[in-house]
Amino acid sequence: MPRLTSALCYKDPKAALKWLEAAFGFELVLLIEDGEGNLAHSQMTLGDSHVMVGNEWSADHASPASLGGKNTQTVHIHIDEDVDAHCQRARAAGAEILAEPETQFYGDRTYRCRDPEGHIWTIGQTVQAVTREEAEAATGLKIQGWA
Amino acid sequence: MSARILVALRIKAAPARVFAAFVGEIGAWWRPNPLFSFTPRSPGVLAFDGEGEGARLVERLASGKAFEVGQVRVWTPGERLVFGWRQAAFAPGMDTEVEVRFEPVGEETRVTVEHRGWETVPAGHVARHGFPDQLFLLRHGQWWTGLLEGLSAHLLP
Repeated sequence: MPRLTSALCYKDPKAALKWLEAAFGFELVLLIEDGEGNLAHSQMTLGDSHVMVGNEWSADHASPASLGGKNTQTVHIHIDEDVDAHCQRARAAGAEILAEPETQFYGDRTYRCRDPEGHIWTIGQTVQAVTREEAEAATGLKIQGWA
Repeated sequence: MSARILVALRIKAAPARVFAAFVGEIGAWWRPNPLFSFTPRSPGVLAFDGEGEGARLVERLASGKAFEVGQVRVWTPGERLVFGWRQAAFAPGMDTEVEVRFEPVGEETRVTVEHRGWETVPAGHVARHGFPDQLFLLRHGQWWTGLLEGLSAHLLP
């Protein structure tokens, strides 16, 4: 089964491993360090998904912390329960909450936060079943591919 | 600092059971990898010879000989195991160490393997098969992940 994995760049990836565990409950499953203790490669899991956490390993790979906070891609985490508690945990770990948990027109309750190096994360939990017609009526948008 | 590999896997069994299977049933769940064989006559069957600190991890070969992979340095049932790890081709001074931690997570056990000391095995050594350092460590780490998956499958057939 093909699948997607996001690889994130950090100036201090070892600190990121600790932070992502504390804030989001990610579990470290693979870490490779060289003889100087520098992180060479790592993977963390959440359920059946995983992310790779690495350093700024080429001139074209940078953390938002090196780019004035700019993100060119963000990762969305979908959870099954209690997004409000998830937000509290992230806040306690030092996440900057950019948007507090709020139920969206499409039936997910979501929040948005920024990690210590400026990566923006969105987290959502489905709390209501919303039909395509209801979502169109609520927004005035024409929607295709509504699951 | 030490060049090290860390892998972890959750296994649906209690720490005491996972520890017991790790040390007591290693011959049943271990999967040899030809890239990382201990001796030219490998694979044999792995076993912990004895219990507690000073026990030995050995590979029993078809010839009847046993190759000592390493001595157990820490043996805390259900919690932690540390043992030495060397291949027959290692020169004096080359020594790596494996630490296995067993942590309860709800009904499960998070098993973490840390394999360190690879900086004592120089680039170009036969054990590395010409791989660049990072690739060698990554391949070795993937083998450890597979080994833990084998341990999990052994416990949960």
